[in-house]
Amino acid sequence: MDLASHITLAALGQQLLVGLSRTTILFIVSSGLSLILGVLRIPNVSHGSLYMIGAFVTYSVATLIGGQTGFWVALAAAPVVVGLFSLAVERGIFCHLYEREHLMLLLFTFSLMLVLGDLVKLIWGSDYRSLSAPPMLQGSFSLAGMPFPRYNLFLLMIGPLVALGLWALTNKTKIGKIARAAAVDREMVAAMGINVSWVFAFVFCLGCLMAGLGGALVAPTQNITQGMDHTIIMEAFLIVIIGGLGNMWGALLGAAIFGITDSIGILVWPQFAIVFPYVAVTIVLIFRPKGLLKSTW
Amino acid sequence: MQQQKLLSSRSLIVVAVLLAALALLPTMASRYYIYLVALMMVTGLLATSLNMVLGFGGMYQFNHAVFYGAGAYAAALLTVRGGFNPWWGYLLGPVMAAALSLLMGIICVRLSKLYFGMLQISLGSLVWAVVFRWYSFTGGDDGMHGVPSPRLIGSIDGAYYFVLIVTVVCLALMYLIVNSPFGRVFQSIRDNPERAEAIGVNVHLHQLIGLVIAGFFGGVAGTLFVTVEGSVFPDMLFWTLSLEIIIMCLLGGWFTFLGPMLGAGIVVSLRAVVGIYTDYWTMVLGIILMLLIFFLPEGVLGFFTARLGRGRAAGEGD
Amino acid sequence: MLSVQGLSKSFGPFLAVADANLEVARGEVVAVIGPNGAGKTTLFKLITGQLKPDGGRVLFKGQDIAGLSPHRVCRLGLSLSYQVVNIFSRMSVFENVQVAVLARRRQVLRLFTPAAHLAVDETWEILNSVGLAEKAAVTSGTLSHGDSKVLEMAIALGNRPELLIMDEPTAGMSPEETRAAMALIRRLNTEMGLTILFCEHDMELVFNLAQRIMVMRQGRTIAQGTCDEVRCDEKVQQAYLGGHDHA
Repeated sequence: MDLASHITLAALGQQLLVGLSRTTILFIVSSGLSLILGVLRIPNVSHGSLYMIGAFVTYSVATLIGGQTGFWVALAAAPVVVGLFSLAVERGIFCHLYEREHLMLLLFTFSLMLVLGDLVKLIWGSDYRSLSAPPMLQGSFSLAGMPFPRYNLFLLMIGPLVALGLWALTNKTKIGKIARAAAVDREMVAAMGINVSWVFAFVFCLGCLMAGLGGALVAPTQNITQGMDHTIIMEAFLIVIIGGLGNMWGALLGAAIFGITDSIGILVWPQFAIVFPYVAVTIVLIFRPKGLLKSTW
Repeated sequence: MQQQKLLSSRSLIVVAVLLAALALLPTMASRYYIYLVALMMVTGLLATSLNMVLGFGGMYQFNHAVFYGAGAYAAALLTVRGGFNPWWGYLLGPVMAAALSLLMGIICVRLSKLYFGMLQISLGSLVWAVVFRWYSFTGGDDGMHGVPSPRLIGSIDGAYYFVLIVTVVCLALMYLIVNSPFGRVFQSIRDNPERAEAIGVNVHLHQLIGLVIAGFFGGVAGTLFVTVEGSVFPDMLFWTLSLEIIIMCLLGGWFTFLGPMLGAGIVVSLRAVVGIYTDYWTMVLGIILMLLIFFLPEGVLGFFTARLGRGRAAGEGD
Repeated sequence: MLSVQGLSKSFGPFLAVADANLEVARGEVVAVIGPNGAGKTTLFKLITGQLKPDGGRVLFKGQDIAGLSPHRVCRLGLSLSYQVVNIFSRMSVFENVQVAVLARRRQVLRLFTPAAHLAVDETWEILNSVGLAEKAAVTSGTLSHGDSKVLEMAIALGNRPELLIMDEPTAGMSPEETRAAMALIRRLNTEMGLTILFCEHDMELVFNLAQRIMVMRQGRTIAQGTCDEVRCDEKVQQAYLGGHDHA
């Protein structure tokens, strides 16, 4: 097998960019998961289902309205729908479960994942759907002689914006500061007379909204199918763990490791490309089992 | 001083009646039910093997399905690609699963709880990804079908009796282990690893041995699956199945010996029964589980044994 | 039998144990006293291997055991009974003690012998001697506080130690339970010949039980000697007994 003979510098650069745009999606989804893990201590397995719902909602809204506007409306609508749904779930169910063991919460959210998976099948059927990017983001442009899709460039620009927004929200706003304090010491925040329950609801909703946004952004790049929840949640969990539980920059770092090894893998040995990120994660975990950056746990 | 017996005479009678019913089943039931009961036993064995480390060792074994898959794939690959006699596959499958468990255990065992589970999932996903993509060797995402069985157990009845005998032997061995000094100490590690270390137990070594035992019996379940289905596929190693097995343990009660068996029976029959009426049986399962976790966190059997005032941990399931 | 020399341990900038020195001879009952935060619990954890010391030596029967892992220290014949109740809460009282006996006999890796037939007599013997025999079948997590402290001690005895270290054996006990525990400790020393090292806030108990006393303050040993010597020591009176209440 000729493994490395076709790799040129340009191809490598192109794959790196593709990897980084993949990183954007992974970061958006896993930062939401990390937020919920860090502040609420819930290992939310159903996070991937919300991502899948985000993608399906984007598809439905975009095809219903159609055209250029359809996509942009859908991109805004999907996270909102997912966020509101998760708020209802948090107020209805999770707020009664905060004191349970991690393992119980994990199994509970896994059950929720089973339910949501079938719910998606019930609403959208079991066929896969595909959605094309809006006209202004279709096609590709040339980068050092290699084609690079416009939509990926769009993702590359969205990524830092989201990271910045999330950073500002958690560091510059009052509720963000409260949430970060609650992550470290719940009792102290409660003792200050703050209604922790609603802070938690806000954080849960925000985290799930990120899953919805990730699903919306990924919709034009791949088939929207049953089972996309299974893949993303595993990836997101591993990213959060190698980054450091609850650490947003860790999620970014982890997503970059995952996205880039994946895209390099496609270049180097396409058949086993999906193995590469798992190897990277395993190596990180063997040497830094608690993650690369400081965890809030 | 009184001597505790391993099994009370009453539970011996229950076990004997149950075994007799299972032995007579093929003479009474249709092919489909024989197949279903065989599948229940295989899944139950898998769940019980997980519970060795989960319920009795307190370890977050999040990727147990990998050992199930490893046993099944090892048996299938030895037979199909290696050209070995299927009996060799059945013999070496569990050994390979145990070896994989040892290797993964050496890497993971120094971590605890959630971190142990996540590193294990990561390693397990690695194995899954390789199996999933190695078309030329493992058949990739299609898996392998038509794996031959030895002629002796080639018929559905033959396979059923083989599964029954192996399951009973394995359960008996695991029951012995749970009630052995090893098992007692394993439970003490579950309750309080720091104290167990302080009374002179080499905690990590003990856990590693526990992992290998669980991996071995998980591998046995995998080879039995090959006997029943004649095929293997990568979903057998996927993490969703792993969590499903944990759910079975929870459902039956993970501080009891036979709880996981019961949980597996419930899940398998639920799938079969609800599956007749609706495609959405996982939703039904999910809702049941959510209700269960909300209201009965000790599991069905755990709930009833606690009710009967016999909620002791030490594998007294009868 | 036990000799601690210049032991030190810090947690970040906080010096928990700075310069601890202690001698315990075979057959003695020795108490460590000192105000809260003097580093008594840390000292015990350093001796038994649960914490690794930064400096100093711990000699047990002439062998340097500083930095050994807890299960190795335990196998040499030194066991610890904890301040906070630290038992195997889902197992029965009998099994709690049996596990310790099995661990000492190095039978923990037997896979196929029923545990019901092993170490039974010795476990009953210990349960009888501490007075827990009637509650042998009870799930230990449901015991009263006093009983769990006794079980705590019984687990440590299961290791048949030569030196038993007890971290506040009567903390949280009622006066009645305290008296029973005191009698038990004395009996362990006189009848079973156990060497005992303990720390305690109850001065009455300390002066009643201990033959020798070591006084710690801010992680340092400030005095060591017989009860009378310590009582008369100026530094001790100044630092610890003087001005404060004795309770």
